[in-house]
Amino acid sequence: MAKEAVKYVWEGAIPLQIHLHKSDVASHPSPPPALVLAPRIGYLPLLIPLIKPYFKDSLPPGEDSIWFDYKGFPLKWYIPTGVLFDLLCAEPERPWNLTIHFRGYPSNILIPCEGEDSVKWNFVNSLKEAQYIINGNCKNVMNMSQSDQEDLWTSVMNGNLDAYTRLSPKLKMGTVEDEFSSLSSPQSGQVVAETDVAGQVKTARIPVRLYVRSINKDFKNLEDVPEIDTWDDISYLNRPVEFLREEGKCFTLRDAIESLLPEFMGDRAQTSGEERSMDDTEEEDGSRETGEIKLVRIQGIEMKLEIPFSWVVNNLMNPEFYLHISVLVKAPQR
Amino acid sequence: MSQEEKAMEAIKDALRALRKRHLLEEGAHAPAISALSRPIISQGSEWKEKTEKLETELQQCYKAQSRLSEQLVIEVAESRTSKAILQEKELLINDLQKELTQRREECTQIQEELEEKTKTVDVLIAENQEIRSQLEEMTSRVQKAESENKMLIDRWMLQKMQDAERLNEANDLYEEMLAKLKANGLETLARQQVDGIVRRNEDGTDHFVESTIPSTCGHRIHAHEGGCGSIIFEYNSGTLFTGGQDRAVKMWDTNSGALIKSLYGSLGNILDMAVTHDNKSVIAATSSNNLFVWDVSSGRVRHTLTGHTDKVCAVDVSKFSSRHVVSAAYDRTIKLWDLHKGYCTNTVLFTSNCNAICLSIDGLTVFSGHMDGNLRLWDIQSGKLLSEVAGHSSAVTSVSLSRNGNRILTSGRDNVHNVFDTRTLEICGTLRASGNRLASNWSRSCISPDDDYVAAGSADGTVHVWSLSKGNIVSILKEQTSPILCCSWSGIGKPLASADKNGYVCTWT
Repeated sequence: MAKEAVKYVWEGAIPLQIHLHKSDVASHPSPPPALVLAPRIGYLPLLIPLIKPYFKDSLPPGEDSIWFDYKGFPLKWYIPTGVLFDLLCAEPERPWNLTIHFRGYPSNILIPCEGEDSVKWNFVNSLKEAQYIINGNCKNVMNMSQSDQEDLWTSVMNGNLDAYTRLSPKLKMGTVEDEFSSLSSPQSGQVVAETDVAGQVKTARIPVRLYVRSINKDFKNLEDVPEIDTWDDISYLNRPVEFLREEGKCFTLRDAIESLLPEFMGDRAQTSGEERSMDDTEEEDGSRETGEIKLVRIQGIEMKLEIPFSWVVNNLMNPEFYLHISVLVKAPQR
Repeated sequence: MSQEEKAMEAIKDALRALRKRHLLEEGAHAPAISALSRPIISQGSEWKEKTEKLETELQQCYKAQSRLSEQLVIEVAESRTSKAILQEKELLINDLQKELTQRREECTQIQEELEEKTKTVDVLIAENQEIRSQLEEMTSRVQKAESENKMLIDRWMLQKMQDAERLNEANDLYEEMLAKLKANGLETLARQQVDGIVRRNEDGTDHFVESTIPSTCGHRIHAHEGGCGSIIFEYNSGTLFTGGQDRAVKMWDTNSGALIKSLYGSLGNILDMAVTHDNKSVIAATSSNNLFVWDVSSGRVRHTLTGHTDKVCAVDVSKFSSRHVVSAAYDRTIKLWDLHKGYCTNTVLFTSNCNAICLSIDGLTVFSGHMDGNLRLWDIQSGKLLSEVAGHSSAVTSVSLSRNGNRILTSGRDNVHNVFDTRTLEICGTLRASGNRLASNWSRSCISPDDDYVAAGSADGTVHVWSLSKGNIVSILKEQTSPILCCSWSGIGKPLASADKNGYVCTWT
């Protein structure tokens, strides 16, 4: 079962419909939009070689500086595609309509991207951060040979889970031991962490990236969520979760989110396995003051908050050993 | 539910959600999108491959192009040089062609000339052969003629000999008759003498002139070119005849030293001369085997006496008849000539060549001096040897009679001068001197008219004068530089003349 989950995570892809921005159209008639399948664990700049052939005849002369936007909202390229989708599309829009620009890179909002290399270095950087959080040092990543790094990155780029599972043990990342994953055959080959064998009460630190989108308006249905227009509405938390192993007690997702966003979890929101968000009729007072978590999405799915966090970590983390959590909250009206 | 069960439930829910998501997202859209993108991707990859191929091809083409352009540069340079060379060669070819045509023309010309020349050569060869054959003919003819000639000459000689004999016989007869006549004459003379009138033959009469000892040179005359071999004075006068190598006989006046006359007509060098006692004729013995007789007054050759077969080296004329001439030649003959008849009356042969000859006063005896040093006496009429005397150890060069005919002076190559008595043929005196060397086989010496002095020239150009009576040298005359060939004393006592090899004649008084 665990393997199955990881497989789904790796195979996950979002259908994108890429439109060429009309300011970049230099041919008549304007080209039709391109349809691509973007891996959830991948990044937008990696799609450029697939998209460019569609539009290259229509481009005006000059050099290209490519960037994407969703309904006018420039997309930051170092965020995995799946996370962007979960965060920005409250009501999942399939296919996701994006606009591609070849000119006029908004340098005040987006950091420059030099193609695949920038993405690769970003990935490696995140890997080092994760290892530091987990192991306390990043010597394993540093000591990894160049060719191994290249192979690791290539496996991530191509979505090659088998290659990845072959190479990732070299990183000697500690993983959270969870008894629930071990219910299935331990084919994922996750190495038991370097947690102290003697003591079960080991504190593991899990690297987590938390994206919190605050929406001013109250909404009942996800369809009613207004469009985002500024990155200021998204706060980004890069804080590890202290994983407490307690005997007899399971550390759930709810506990993790509580540790990260204590101010929003005052009023516990029950989620179902369905996509349906929280019914705000259950909320009473307090939610208006503290803000209310409307939605928690990981890898495009919502789950019951009682789910053991260890299972979540082991199955739903990104290749760089980070867990990306998208959270939609209703902003406190003050 | 227990927490664990709740957890399991939550996990299952999560899995269900993942599956659902899968169906909604990639499960639904992946096939369509892949179907749509396949051609493009494949196209894209195709294009990529094509571009890569083209790029590699282009690189190769560039490389090839660079190589080719390098080669091209080289080739262009080479072609330029080749063109230049070609042009040069063309010019050269033109020149050569012109030369060639010229040479061909020359060649044809030369061939034509050659043909002509060969033709002419052929013609000439033919002519040459003809001429050669002619020459052979001629030579054979000449040889035949020569042999005939020889034969004829022999026969002629024989004839001549026979003639001479006959002539001799005739002459003998004639002489006999003359002698008889003379005897008759002598008888009358004797009768006259008996009558008491002593008469002397005019011809034998001498003016007894006292000869002076010559000491000073009077004149030095360049008489002849090439040498003067013979000089002789006219009878009782100072006129000197000289004969020389230039085939001329000249007449000089010794008082003035001037040339009076020249007598030409001789064919050879004058070797000896004789003057008739009437001074009318001069006879010269020449190297051309002839004797020439000039008439002095007219200067013309009156007789040419031929018969000798070699050069005539000595001649003498009879002192009273002026008719008989005796000559000696190197063919070992002495010939007696009759000037009135104009031919040889007698020939005498002997073994040794005669160098000098002299007729006796009565004209019946011939004195001859020979190469073997002997003095021989011959009878004219019979041609027989009367007697011979060994006078010298080497050749006799000169025989001269004294005026009274009693003494005869012989000079020899042994540098000795002997005086013989003509009747007894005994030596009366011998004269010699150191420094007196006779120059040639025909060096003539002479006796002074008073029969007392002897003059002889020598090879060093001096003339020695001895006294006969005393027997010593009285004078040595030095004037001439080349050997003295002949001396002659004038009948009037002076001057003495000497001739030398250079043709100079000196007169001494």
